[in-house]
Amino acid sequence: MEILHIEDLSFRYPKAERNALSSVSFSVKRGEFIVVCGESGCGKTTLLRLLKSEISPAGDLSGSVKYLGEDSLEIGFVMQDPDSQIVTDTVWHELAFGLENLGLPCDVIRRRVGETACYFGIEELFRRKTDGLSGGQKQLLNLAAVTAMQPKVLILDEPTGQLDPIAASEFIATLSKLNRELGMTVILAEHRLDEVFPIADRVLVMEDGRAVLFDLPEKIGGELMKLGKDHPMLEALPSTVRICGSLGYEEKIPITVREGRDFIENHFGGKKAVLPEKEYIPGDSIAVELKNVFFRYERDLPDILRGTSAKIYAGEIFAILGGNGSGKTTMLNVIGGLLKPYRGKVLVAERPVGAYKGNSLYRQNLAILPQNPRALFVRDTVGADLAEVPEARGVKKSEREALVVSVAKRLKILHLLKKNPFDLSGGEQQKCALAKVLLSEPRIVLLDEPTKGIDASAKRGLSEILSELKSAGVTVIIVTHDTEFAAENADRCALFFDGELIAEDIPQRFFGGNTFYTTAANRIVREVCPNAVTVGQAVGSLANGDTK
Amino acid sequence: MKAFGSFHPAVLLTYFVAIIGIFMFASNPVMRVTALLGGILFCLLLQKKREIPGNLGFYIPLFLLVAVTNPLFSHAGVTPLFFLNGNPVTLEASVYGVFLAVTVIGVMMWCKCYSEIMTGDKFLYLFGSIVPKLSLTLSMAFRFLPLFVRRMKTVTTARRGLGLYSQRGFVDRIKGTGQVFLSVISWSLENAMETSMSMRARAYGKAKRTSFSLFRFTMRDGVMIFVTLLLFALTVTGMASGATDFFFYPRIGELSLSPLAVTAYSSFAILAFLPFVIEVRGALLWRYYISRI
Amino acid sequence: MKKVISYITFFVLIPAVTVGGALIFRDRQYAWITLCVALLSCIPFFLHFEHRADVKRLVTVAVMTALSVLGRIIFTPIPAFKPVAAFVIITAMYFGGEAGFLVGSLSAVISNFWFGQGPWTPFQMFSWGLIGLVAGFLSEPMKKSRIVLIIYSILAGVSYSLMTDIWTVLWADGYFNISRYLAALVSALPFTAVYALSNVVFLLIFARPIGKILERIKVKYAL
Repeated sequence: MEILHIEDLSFRYPKAERNALSSVSFSVKRGEFIVVCGESGCGKTTLLRLLKSEISPAGDLSGSVKYLGEDSLEIGFVMQDPDSQIVTDTVWHELAFGLENLGLPCDVIRRRVGETACYFGIEELFRRKTDGLSGGQKQLLNLAAVTAMQPKVLILDEPTGQLDPIAASEFIATLSKLNRELGMTVILAEHRLDEVFPIADRVLVMEDGRAVLFDLPEKIGGELMKLGKDHPMLEALPSTVRICGSLGYEEKIPITVREGRDFIENHFGGKKAVLPEKEYIPGDSIAVELKNVFFRYERDLPDILRGTSAKIYAGEIFAILGGNGSGKTTMLNVIGGLLKPYRGKVLVAERPVGAYKGNSLYRQNLAILPQNPRALFVRDTVGADLAEVPEARGVKKSEREALVVSVAKRLKILHLLKKNPFDLSGGEQQKCALAKVLLSEPRIVLLDEPTKGIDASAKRGLSEILSELKSAGVTVIIVTHDTEFAAENADRCALFFDGELIAEDIPQRFFGGNTFYTTAANRIVREVCPNAVTVGQAVGSLANGDTK
Repeated sequence: MKAFGSFHPAVLLTYFVAIIGIFMFASNPVMRVTALLGGILFCLLLQKKREIPGNLGFYIPLFLLVAVTNPLFSHAGVTPLFFLNGNPVTLEASVYGVFLAVTVIGVMMWCKCYSEIMTGDKFLYLFGSIVPKLSLTLSMAFRFLPLFVRRMKTVTTARRGLGLYSQRGFVDRIKGTGQVFLSVISWSLENAMETSMSMRARAYGKAKRTSFSLFRFTMRDGVMIFVTLLLFALTVTGMASGATDFFFYPRIGELSLSPLAVTAYSSFAILAFLPFVIEVRGALLWRYYISRI
Repeated sequence: MKKVISYITFFVLIPAVTVGGALIFRDRQYAWITLCVALLSCIPFFLHFEHRADVKRLVTVAVMTALSVLGRIIFTPIPAFKPVAAFVIITAMYFGGEAGFLVGSLSAVISNFWFGQGPWTPFQMFSWGLIGLVAGFLSEPMKKSRIVLIIYSILAGVSYSLMTDIWTVLWADGYFNISRYLAALVSALPFTAVYALSNVVFLLIFARPIGKILERIKVKYAL
């Protein structure tokens, strides 16, 4: 039975030159789990907001959106930023907020709030302040607060964009539970498709405001390839789809790791391949060295760094991976001189961090890209914001502009210079923040979770910038959860665990040697080729052999 | 542990309005002194032990300051003690000074207790039913504050990591803080628009809002509010009849000991010592319960 | 039924409390009445907000209030140097006097959860609110001329002191003891000077840049 019917929907924002949506038609059945994907700026958010009349943007609209339930209040909506959606100061009040708005009597609210908290497993948070929650807990609370209103349809606009992978998985699992157990219709826009493809009933692919595909997840890969061999959305697909799709089987492409392994077993079983290891010889000079470093935030708190030692060579891309809250960011901030260890030595360019007086550590030497790029914007245009860096470095006024323009050209953000930083998309903000970092002409760049919340093509852009930096001899240290990104880009990876860096190695050996903490591509092909860790390597290792 | 704080917010508000109201405006020395003692005892129980010496260091000098300065400003009264710069320093004004100091310290004590007990959530709950939008606005402001503090920190750290700060001096540092503050303003307002969207998405403004809370009015609250109102009424009757009136000027008056006045004194004293008694009883009960585990 | 109750509260109960209090607290009746007036004068603005404000306005007031309290907290180490009044004035300049009043009075309530509630709270609510309300009428001249802005910010600082001290005197003596009032003003002079100074400093530094931000938000989100 249909619950949403969208027909020939076109939409244009006031004063915009182009349509944000052009003749989109599709319909959703009751109880379906729909995934909406597409590059950022393709019109996903506009489409989703038009599905819920209370928050539809203003503009020219033609065509129709029909909700076939009773009332549009039965549609729940969850957005990306966990913080900005929370209205009140305590968890219980947040859960009750929507119910209060509906004007329900207090004992009904009490009951609903109670059962919702139990269902979501957040009873322990019930009397907590909302601000003390972690990002994942906040987003779960947002979902719970919407669900307490007993919606029939849940619409979610990139809800996991700001979460780390573990919290994201938990969130997706809860969604799937809501869908399976309560029959809620779910419409979810996502960048990270690996986890949502297996639970999706159908996938809607958008491009430039049009709905180009609407089909079963196992067919999406094949259909996309028919649209073009190098369609930009292809690289956003789950690793399984990309590997199996590239091997030339287009009918029904496996979408889970298990199906992928079966697929490989069936077609390539018995084959054994070992990829030649790329020999990696680091340079002679050491960019950053940690010698037996101990750090804790307060005297009575436990150690975060527990005798950490590491050598990071000049000109390499070094990725630090590790679990949630393990202290990776802390380590980055210790290297960057933002936090002072109480014991041990941190050397930057073979000089102790403490020996850099004033700002000299950050003058054409070292720079940190923070996790949230928004934190770097203080002026009202991107151009003025970027000019701040050369200004701080004491570059003459006449030369600043040229510097800004040259960096902007390198990062392909010239067209953004006149815009307000807050009007940019996540990927664009990331690039502008990176431009700010590069303007300080650093020899060492520290990146904190650079792939958080950006889409596949923005990730590719970032990879290109990294390799460009590398060829210019810049040392790059990345802290990340993104195993795929680390496998593709890093020269060496290390696992941060229990306050120490362990298992430093080149990605092929690092991920090839891990069983759990590895890339999806490696999981799929490891029986056949244990040291293929990226999609490219996996495809390469399989394509060169014979099939059964 | 706060036995008194566990009463229903409406009970607490009634209590504090009654006690602070009478204390502030009744000019009877007996009532003021008993209430000051009650306030001090209650305050001692609510405070952390290590804060007490610091507070004594603040209140005692304040007491002396208020007591001593009054006769210097006020020359009313008919019994000069001595002359200062040709102005009489009178007995009445000096006594009134001590009385004023008792009042100032007492009000501060009781307000301290009020702040300790009437936390933000209770306050919001009480006004949520009368002015729902306003109380929601307050609740949001409470929610935004720690968020903005965190953002200030995030932006400051981010700027430090790029060396975008100056160490040259005070003005530069203020400028830097200002820059950070501006960016937090921008960021916060942008986000707040998303908050308003999240509110509309959750049916805000669709129907008449109800106001939900975790507080429940129980039998115990009923008894407490009855006792409070009764004691309040007895005190106020005494005050309204003029039995408790007391004059410092022109000459220190006599303390009335009429039945009405004594009733008022004793009711007010009970009212003032009530929280202390409840707290002590609560603590003893707690010990007993603990001993049975 | 609810409406009836609110009318009864408004037209019967509140005047009754005010008059009754004045009768009971005979020798402190002026102090009592001033306290009631300070509180009561906030009520029309609160009620208007209650009936008229839409979501965006509500959120904006909440954000501006939180920001001004944040300002007060940041500057705690420097006595009397607070950006609250400046923030209230800026709010009033760009969102109108009513929003200014609300941000002023709510900031007083909220910040005193940190700095301590007391009988001074209603007077702070009233004073900051009034500073905002008047700033709303002067918004255009203040946007155009820095001199008007400076004059108003000094006036705001001085009148804040004048207003809060009236009550101190009424309460201490039961009548308007002019010599105590003058003494209070003199002893508060350094504070008054710092109030005025901080208003001028904050407004000169922040009025334009914050104004720019607010204008942009107003256009972008059609406030």
